[in-house]
Amino acid sequence: MATDDDTFLTRPIDRRAFIRRGIAFVGAGTLTPPAFLRAVFDDDSRPLAAASAAEAAAKRHVLVVLQMAGGNDGLNTVAPIGDPAYFDVRPGLAINPEAALPLGRGLALNPVMTGLKTLYDRGQVGVVLGVGYPNPNRSHFRSMDIWHSASMEEHAETGWIGRLLDATRHEQDSLWHAVNIGQEEAASLRSRSSFVPSLGSVPAYVLQTDERYPAEGARRQQDFVQLHRQAEALAAQAEYGGQLAFLSKTGLEAYQSTVDLHAAVGVYQSTVTYPSTPLASAFRTAAQLITSNLATGVCYITTGGFDTHANQVGVQNGLLGTVSNALLAFYDDLAALGIADEVTTVTWSEFGRRVKENGSRGTDHGTASPLFVVGGGVRGGLIGEQPALSNTDANGDLKFTTDFRSVYASVIAQRFDIDPKDVLGAGYPTLPLYA
Amino acid sequence: MALSTERQRIQHLLRRAGFGYSAEELREYLALGLEGAVDRLLSPERVDDSAADAATAVLRDAAFQDRQMLLSWWHSRLVLTRRPLLEKLTYFWHDHFATGIRKVNAPGFMLVQNETLRAGALGPFRDLVQAITRDPAMMVWLDNRANVASAPNENYAREIMELFCLGEGVLYTERDIKEAARALTGWRVIASKPAPDANFPVATDVVFVPRQFDNGVKTILGQTGRFGDEDLVRIVTSKPECADYIGGKLWRFFAVPEPTGEMIARTTRAYFAHDTSIREMLRVILLSPEMYSDAAYRWRIKSPVEDVIHPLRALGLTGRMARIARDTQAQGQVLFDPPTPAGWNWDEAWINTNTLLARANLMNDLTRRGRPAQAVDAAALLQANGATRTAEEAVDFVLDLIVGGDVDPATRALLIEHIGGMHYDFAQANRSGALQGLFYLVLTMPLAQLA
Repeated sequence: MATDDDTFLTRPIDRRAFIRRGIAFVGAGTLTPPAFLRAVFDDDSRPLAAASAAEAAAKRHVLVVLQMAGGNDGLNTVAPIGDPAYFDVRPGLAINPEAALPLGRGLALNPVMTGLKTLYDRGQVGVVLGVGYPNPNRSHFRSMDIWHSASMEEHAETGWIGRLLDATRHEQDSLWHAVNIGQEEAASLRSRSSFVPSLGSVPAYVLQTDERYPAEGARRQQDFVQLHRQAEALAAQAEYGGQLAFLSKTGLEAYQSTVDLHAAVGVYQSTVTYPSTPLASAFRTAAQLITSNLATGVCYITTGGFDTHANQVGVQNGLLGTVSNALLAFYDDLAALGIADEVTTVTWSEFGRRVKENGSRGTDHGTASPLFVVGGGVRGGLIGEQPALSNTDANGDLKFTTDFRSVYASVIAQRFDIDPKDVLGAGYPTLPLYA
Repeated sequence: MALSTERQRIQHLLRRAGFGYSAEELREYLALGLEGAVDRLLSPERVDDSAADAATAVLRDAAFQDRQMLLSWWHSRLVLTRRPLLEKLTYFWHDHFATGIRKVNAPGFMLVQNETLRAGALGPFRDLVQAITRDPAMMVWLDNRANVASAPNENYAREIMELFCLGEGVLYTERDIKEAARALTGWRVIASKPAPDANFPVATDVVFVPRQFDNGVKTILGQTGRFGDEDLVRIVTSKPECADYIGGKLWRFFAVPEPTGEMIARTTRAYFAHDTSIREMLRVILLSPEMYSDAAYRWRIKSPVEDVIHPLRALGLTGRMARIARDTQAQGQVLFDPPTPAGWNWDEAWINTNTLLARANLMNDLTRRGRPAQAVDAAALLQANGATRTAEEAVDFVLDLIVGGDVDPATRALLIEHIGGMHYDFAQANRSGALQGLFYLVLTMPLAQLA
């Protein structure tokens, strides 16, 4: 993919090119979409048979990204219990060293993260230490934007995963090639030419009609699609055409994606029992899509609440426990399906928190923190260097030791087999994430 | 020139400065003319809203102890109020001073904050910021109730500058935030459960504790003194950058996506000429030529709250107040629960396949005939407005009501065909469900998502 460095991140998103190229859809077995829907697509679209979708899936690695929104306190996630200074700066908040789960090198996991520790002991978790970037920004939005876009640009138009999708696009990709599991827009997924549907749950994902009037209902669905196509024509002339084009495209995608999803997913039985948390359900949905013949290759999941300015312990412990247990269930499920080594999960948060606790039994916005790379054949263990409490920055916060873009670059290069520069715009040192 | 008739301008005004209009409301505002309509919207105190107050009084009492009642209370106000601009502005301020119930964890606190926002919505802005600074919900949300001289908490100090008054990185430094945190010390919220078995506490007082206040000299944004919270608010809201920031947000929310420096200068002049009045800034905006320009026309994408409330007001559906929370949640928004201290992300951020399906399915629910006051009875509404004789008449009535403005011939033709075209028969179109379908198609088409 050729890139012009000057305009790398600010080229306008070519949504109309996406529609012109056509939308491949999946027909599974004898289920084919109604004839009128063929009119939705350009002439060069073609049905994707189940067999080749599975083939496509078999050739590709799967990336799952879990965003922990709010700024997760790294020092109480992977705690330097071997450093006496930790207990000085966190008199109220320090985790109990006897209950903490040791990882080696004087570091230990928060005691609630037993699920993640199980995976770590199986060698399936790379703990990347001290992740951050130069001149750290402590505003939620700015720092999230920096992580999402992998750039310091003020108004980047694309996200790093969006650019990864653009770089790895295949003609035969299904509409469900990448999915955002949740309702908030995930800026990491913004791209120039890849469309990513958002999914709450599979059963709810249908366009409903009034079943008391079947003939009217069928005509109504046809006209719904037709109105959206006509809005596209209007978009070319109207001042507000940008919004109209976006709305009509998304409407068409929404309808077609319901057809594709229900045709392909069928009856999925997970092999493990997932915890009954919304986060665990999101991972279960991810497993469902990854193993279906929709060949989902990228899943983005967001979980929030990590902005613990006050009364941190109860809140953060609850959240970390939920994350840990969801990851364990997910990887147990993938292991039973034989694909744990083909699925990489990367967690991230927009920043860590301050070294010293504040007067409200919490912590304020900080800088570097650890993240986890789970599964996908990762070389388990501690990766990188834990920032020293004795060598903080001018504000008394941790200095980063690993640039987050190195994490992205390592996963991209070693699991997606493309040049990370095509996605990140520049080179970053590779981490020893893989053997 | 898109908004070329007064009718279209008033429809546009009611979409932006309110939540759309019912057929009767439109007739009322048309009778006032554009300037009269703006004047009425900006003078809510002259409009009797006692019916909405009476209808929501029981919900209000229950809201102190029940989060669902809290949501139903505000949703009901949104549907019933005769003061649409005041309510839209309360919504705007709720996003601006975004405070989340998950952390505050007391619906009564959120209710009181909402009423504080409504009472101060039209300004003076300085008074609104002062009221919010001592609002119990805000004090919990941004931890100012735990901000003491010995260990200052910077959370509110940062956000009052970054989010509420100046904008990220404008004018202030980290030093100013630290000094502002010192000026904000010493405040506590007094709260208690009204009865031993109550679910939630209610704030009874906000008090100043002198021994927890840092009485030292602070320097904030170039001024020096033994400042307290009122001084901080005065200093910050007297900066031109504050007027520019708030004015810019108001121009974007109500009018155009990219206000020019000259436009912002106009609202800033009004801000200072009228003692930080929001009302006068809005008067500038709502009477400006830019408000009715092509750049202003249909550029905003309705937020979930607007998408849900609009048809309920337009179609008089007052029987599903308790379901509104689920409807907005399915589209990615729950009032009192913004995702971040900077509020929600707007316009295109609301739209993905999941939320568009939710919108379409909501409109399916609102057009499923059979439950009076919960779903539109298309035939009855068309009859009440004398729009039953021809397919064109019916279609034009629904388009004017729901999307008000120009609609392309192809869309109009498709809708006419849907209800029978040349073979249109009112009774037949009603029996077959096609009239209900007409409302569904207009409510779900891309144009209807624009405001």
